[in-house]
Amino acid sequence: MSTFRDAQNNANKQKQNQLSSVFIFLLIFIVTLQIWLLYTCLNSALENRKEVLVPATIMSCVLFLAGAIGLYFLPRGKYKK
Amino acid sequence: MDNNKKQDPTWKQDFPIQSTQATQVSRRDFAKFLCLLSGGLAFGNLFVFSKYFTEKTEKIDEQFVCNTNDVPIGGTRSFILKDSDIPYILIHLEDGEWRAYEQKCTHLSCAVFYKPNTGKIECPCHNGWFDAYNGEPIQGPPPRALPKLDVVIKGEQIFVKSPNKTV
Repeated sequence: MSTFRDAQNNANKQKQNQLSSVFIFLLIFIVTLQIWLLYTCLNSALENRKEVLVPATIMSCVLFLAGAIGLYFLPRGKYKK
Repeated sequence: MDNNKKQDPTWKQDFPIQSTQATQVSRRDFAKFLCLLSGGLAFGNLFVFSKYFTEKTEKIDEQFVCNTNDVPIGGTRSFILKDSDIPYILIHLEDGEWRAYEQKCTHLSCAVFYKPNTGKIECPCHNGWFDAYNGEPIQGPPPRALPKLDVVIKGEQIFVKSPNKTV
């Protein structure tokens, strides 16, 4: 007997494939942004400019959380441990 | 299943990893690695943030450097502060003014030198130039101004101290 999830997976077998690819591109984009934020953060700290330091740090943490949540909800497909 | 395991040679039981598993990385594993990298960068950002707010910069009291007649016009003198190994440079500018800066380029910490009669400080490593009057970078790769000390002249003696911050 097919469950809802199995039916969904069968309806679009490429779903996990596409989601994984898009998610990896998204993560690469997030990491690139974070490298830029860290560079900006270091320069701001050395220049004593905390008006940039605080939002850059918050943004970096938010981006990490977004990536981690995305990974948690990424469908596992038919993978069984 | 236990019977199958018993049939495997001992070395295979010790290392139950297929060679394809060891050499190929799934996209989920790659995504996990990217997530880990993202976490590391966020942690680095937090570290810089916490370091900035917890580290207190020590205020430098007036420290004697030399006498005014020790440095000719257009000349310089290197010195270090008490309990510190950061090199500083005292500059006697052509118009008679005095300036003191950290002698480390803000690009890659090379030693910087005053070029007489130009009003500029040179970093010879990557052709970086700073304005000798305010320490601001004017050419080349240095991203920031040179850290500055205030120069106080009392009679014939030259002292340096922490700069008075202006907003």
